[in-house]
Amino acid sequence: MTEFWQSVARGLGNGSIYALLALGFVIIYKSTRVISFAQPAFMLSGAVLVTYLAGEVNFFLALALSAVAVALLALSVERVAVRPMVGKPVFVVAIITLGLDIVIRVIVNGFIGLDVRQVGDPWGLRTVDLLGVPVQQRYLAMLATTAIMVAALFAFFRYTRFGLAMRAAAFDQETSLAQGVPVGAVFATSWAMAGGLAAIAGVLVGSGASVDQNLWIIALKALPAIILGGLDSLGGAVLGGLSVGLVESLVGTYQADIAPWLGQNFAVVSPYVLMLLVLLIRPYGLFGTPEVERV
Amino acid sequence: MNTLLERRGTRRPRGRPLLYTSYKQDMALLDTPAKRRWLIALLVVALLAPFMLTDDILQLLAVGLVASIGAIGLNIVTGYAGQISLGHAFFLAIGAYTAAAISGDPDGKVIGFGVTSILVWLPAAGLAAALAGVIVAPLATRLRGLYLAVVTLGLVFLGEHIFKEWDSLTGGPGVGRPSATVELFGVRLDEAGAYSKEQKLYLLMLVLLVLFAVLARNLTRSRVGRAFAAVRDRDIAAAIIGVDLRRTKLLAFAISSFYAGIAGALLYTVTGFFDPGSFNLLLSIQFIAMILIGGVATVSGAIMGAMFITLLPRITRELPGVLPFISSESKDTPNVFQVETVLYGLLIIAFLILEPRGLFGVWTRIRNYWKAWPFSY
Amino acid sequence: MRRTRIGAVLAASMLVVSGCGVFRGEEDSGAPGVTKDPCPNAVNKDNGCIYLGIISDLTVGPFKTLAVPITESQKAFWKRVNQQGGIGGYDIDVTKYVRDNKYNPETHNQVYQEIKGKVLALAQTLGSPTTAAIIKDLKASKIVAAPASWTSAWNFEDVILESGANYCVETLNAVDYAADTFKPKKVMAVHYAGDYGADAAAGAKAGAAARKLTFSAVETPQGQDNQGRAVDAIVKEKPDLVIITTGPTDAATVIGQAAARGFKGKYIGTGPTWNKGLLKSPAAPAIKAQYLQSGPWAPFQTNSPGHQAMRQAVGQVDPNDGYTSGWVWSYPLKAALQKAAANKEMTRDGVLKAAKQLTQVDYEGMLPAGAGNYSGNAPTDVVRTTLISQPDDASPTGVKVIKEAFTGPTAQAYTLDAPCYGKL
Repeated sequence: MTEFWQSVARGLGNGSIYALLALGFVIIYKSTRVISFAQPAFMLSGAVLVTYLAGEVNFFLALALSAVAVALLALSVERVAVRPMVGKPVFVVAIITLGLDIVIRVIVNGFIGLDVRQVGDPWGLRTVDLLGVPVQQRYLAMLATTAIMVAALFAFFRYTRFGLAMRAAAFDQETSLAQGVPVGAVFATSWAMAGGLAAIAGVLVGSGASVDQNLWIIALKALPAIILGGLDSLGGAVLGGLSVGLVESLVGTYQADIAPWLGQNFAVVSPYVLMLLVLLIRPYGLFGTPEVERV
Repeated sequence: MNTLLERRGTRRPRGRPLLYTSYKQDMALLDTPAKRRWLIALLVVALLAPFMLTDDILQLLAVGLVASIGAIGLNIVTGYAGQISLGHAFFLAIGAYTAAAISGDPDGKVIGFGVTSILVWLPAAGLAAALAGVIVAPLATRLRGLYLAVVTLGLVFLGEHIFKEWDSLTGGPGVGRPSATVELFGVRLDEAGAYSKEQKLYLLMLVLLVLFAVLARNLTRSRVGRAFAAVRDRDIAAAIIGVDLRRTKLLAFAISSFYAGIAGALLYTVTGFFDPGSFNLLLSIQFIAMILIGGVATVSGAIMGAMFITLLPRITRELPGVLPFISSESKDTPNVFQVETVLYGLLIIAFLILEPRGLFGVWTRIRNYWKAWPFSY
Repeated sequence: MRRTRIGAVLAASMLVVSGCGVFRGEEDSGAPGVTKDPCPNAVNKDNGCIYLGIISDLTVGPFKTLAVPITESQKAFWKRVNQQGGIGGYDIDVTKYVRDNKYNPETHNQVYQEIKGKVLALAQTLGSPTTAAIIKDLKASKIVAAPASWTSAWNFEDVILESGANYCVETLNAVDYAADTFKPKKVMAVHYAGDYGADAAAGAKAGAAARKLTFSAVETPQGQDNQGRAVDAIVKEKPDLVIITTGPTDAATVIGQAAARGFKGKYIGTGPTWNKGLLKSPAAPAIKAQYLQSGPWAPFQTNSPGHQAMRQAVGQVDPNDGYTSGWVWSYPLKAALQKAAANKEMTRDGVLKAAKQLTQVDYEGMLPAGAGNYSGNAPTDVVRTTLISQPDDASPTGVKVIKEAFTGPTAQAYTLDAPCYGKL
C-alpha cells in the first residue's frame, strides 16, 4: 500500500506542476484564443534564472524575482510579437509563439553552460512521514505552491476590478472594449501571468533535482491537461493537470505488472489516452464551455 | 486534365485575358494566359535544375518537393476543409514505415518484404495512411478547433510510442532502419549511375509533385472541394444545405492522409535512413508552418511554404558568413550556431507578422502591383 | 526604373547564390578538401591545407553540453598538430566546416551534404542515429570519420575510426568489477532506449549471465518527471547493482529519489551519465555514497602525456571530460592522415586505405598500448579496457579514478559479432 500512496504523492506533485503550466495556457487562451507554444521557453527561463540567483538570495525571494522577471519577459514578447497579430488567424499566432520559443530557448541555453545547474531549494530530497507513508517534501511543496497560486488567481479574478475586466474580455472582447475594458492591457497581463506561472513551474521541476536544457519538454505535458479540463476553464486546468500527473504516475507504477503488452514506458503517453477517453464522452473536456452553434 | 486544353475549343477575344465566355473557361485549371506562361517557365526551370545545380542543393530541393506533397495534403484537411490537424507526422510515419517494410531487405535486421518497385510501395504507403486517416476521422466529426488539434497531437505521441516500441519494424529509437528502396522498372533511383542519385530522386519527386498538385487542384474545384469549403466556413450551414458532414470530413482526412503517406514514404529515401524519433510534434508543426507561411487553402502556397521551410535552415546557415563579427567558436555566446537557430525562429515570426496570408499573399501583392503598373492601383 | 532595380537585385542575389557554390561545376579532381593554398589563419604559411568537417550538437540538441567541449578540444588538437609542423606538408583546418546537427538525423545529413564536397574526412560526427543517416554515403564516398559516440555499431564500420571501449564492453567490465568488489546477486539496468542505453544494458545482461547473477532491465524515457517508474522498479526489486545509462539530470533524479525511499544499492554509470554539476544537486549525498562511474579513458586531470598536452592546448577552461573525449577521438584520424601522407596518397581513397593499415595508434598514453587496430575484423580488435571512478568534490571534473584501466574476464571472453543493442 505504501507503494500506492507514494505513487499518488508523486503523481499529485508532478500533477501540480502540470497544473501551473496548464493554467498559463488556459489564461492565454481565454484572453486571446491562442495556444502559446512559448510556454516551454518561459518555463526554462524561470528555472535558469533561479539557478543564477541561488546562493545570492533566499530561495523564495529568488522564486518570486524569477517569476516577476519572466512575467516581464512574457509581457514584452506579447507586446512586440503577438499584439500586432490581434484578429489574425489563431494558428498563425500559434506558429509565431513557436518561433518565439526557439529564439528564447537558444538564448537561455547559452546561459546554462556546460554543467547542470541547481535551483538551491530548501527541501531537497527530504521526506516526511504522512500517516505512515514517507512522502517527499518536494511533492508537498509543489502541491502547496500550486494551491497558493490557484487561490491567488481565484481571488484575483473574483475580487479585483482588473480580474473582472479580464473575465469580461474573455467573455466578449468587443463588448467589453465598448464598456471601457482595456483589452490590450488584458492581453499583456494574461501573457505576464502565464509567464510567471511557467517560471514557477520550471523552478519546481528543478527543485530536488537539477536544471539542464532539456527541461522545457515537460511543458508539453500541459497540453493533454488543458484539453482534459476544457480549454477555457481555469478549474479544469488544475484538475486536468493533477489527473494527468496522477494517471501517469500510477500507470508507471503498475502497468509493467498488469499490462506489459502495452510496451515499456506506456506511462509517458497515458495522459493522451486519458484525454481521448474523456473527449469521447465530453467533447469540450470536463469543464469546457460548449460552443454555441449558430448558422 | 482536358480542361488544360480547353481554350482551343472556345475562343476568347484577344487582349481580354480575364474575359470568360464559358463556364469551362472560368473553371479551367490555368484560367489566365499569364498562369499558363509562368507555369511553363517554372516547369522548364525546374526540369533544367538537376543539370545546373550541385547535388547538395538538389537533395534539399528534393526534400522540399516531397514536403510540398505532404503540405498539399495537410492543406486539404486544414486549409480547404478547415480541420486543424497536428497529426500529420503520424500519417507520414505510417507511409514511411509501410513503404520501408514493403521494399525492405527480407534478410535485414528489420521487417522487409523485398518488393522494391515504387509502383507497389508508393500507392500502398498512401493507402495505409489513408486507412489510418479514415479511422481517425470520426474524432473530427465530434471535435472542433483546438480540441481537434490537440487530440491529433495525441496521435503523434501515441504513434511515437508505438514506433519506438516496435523494434522489429522501426529498428528502435537511436538505431532506426533503412528507408524505402526506390526502384522503377528495374532502375535504382537511389543509387548513383549515369546520373547522380540526387538528380534522379529530384526528378522523381518533381514528377510526383506535379502529379499530386494537379490532382489536388482538380479536387478542390470539384463537388468534393466545394463541400470541403462549405464545411470549413460553417459546418452547420453546410449540413443544412445538404453536405454530409461525416462523409466530407472522412474524405478530407482520408485524402490528406493519403498525401501524407506518399510524402512520408518518399521523404526519407533522400537520406536513406530514418529513426522513429523523427515523427514528433516538431515535424507536425513544421507542416502547419509550411501551409501557414505559404498560404492557407492554395496549392501553390503549400508548395512555396514547403520550399521556404525546407530551405530556410540552409539560408540561415549562410547568413552568419555575411556577419563576420559573430564568433564561430561554439563556446562563446553569441556564436554563429546560436545566431542561425535564432534567425530561423525570427524569420518565421517576422514573416508571419508582416504577411499573415503567407507567401501566397506576397505573391498576390506583387501580381496586383504589376497588373496595375504603372499605376499604383 | 523599378524594373532595373529588380534586375539589379536579381543579379546581386545570383552572385551571392553562385558564391555559395550551388551551380554544378566540373567535379573536383581527385582530392576534395585538400588544397595547395594555406589554411585560413594558417600556422605554417608554406603548407597546403587539409579541411576536415565537424558535425556536432551545438545549440538546442540534448547533447550540447558534451558536444561543445568535444568540438573545442578537437580544434585545439588539430591546432597542436599544425604547430608540430602539420602532416605531410599540409596544415589541418577543422574550423571552417563546423556544422550544427541539432541532434536530428535529417539535419545531420543535410549539413553533411553541404560540406561533403569540401572536406577530406570528418573530424567529428556526433551521435549514432545522426551518423547512421550518413553512413551509407560515407562508405560510398570513402570518407573516413571520427565518431562522437561509443555505440558498438561502429566496430563494424570501416569508415568510422572509433576509439576506446564501446558501451557494451564498458558495462561488461563494470559488472565484472562490481562482481569482484561488492559481490552483487541482482543486477538491474536502468537505461534509455536505443544505441546508447540498450547497448549498455545488453552488455550488463551478458555480464550478469556470465557471472551467474540475476538480471532485469528497465527502459526509462528522458525527462525528470518520467523517472517514477524506474525509481519504483529499483525500490521494489532492490537490486544490489544498478547499471544506469541515462543523461545526468535523469540519473540524479533516479539515484536521489530511490535513496530518499531507502534504496542502498550501488550504481555504475557511463560517461554521458555524468556531469560534475550533479555534485551540487540535492542528490549529491546519495551519489557520493552509491554511484561509481565507468569510462573508456581517464578523466581530465590525469597525468598521461596526452592529457597534459590536452590541458595545455585547451588552455584555461572549466574542466569537462568532453574535452578529454574530443581529444582522444582525434588520434586515429591523425594517424590515418600521417599514414596516408607516408603513402603519398592524400585522397579520400588514400586515407581510407591508410586507416585500414593502422594496427596501432599512439594515443600518447590516454589509451593502453595496442589500442587502435583498424586493420582486421571487429571481434578481435575491440579495445576492452575500462576505468572505474568515483565522485570526488576535489577533482576538476568531479570524479577520481579508483580502478585503473582493466579488462574483466567476461569482457575479455565476449565475442562481439554484432552491435550489442540488438541483443537486449
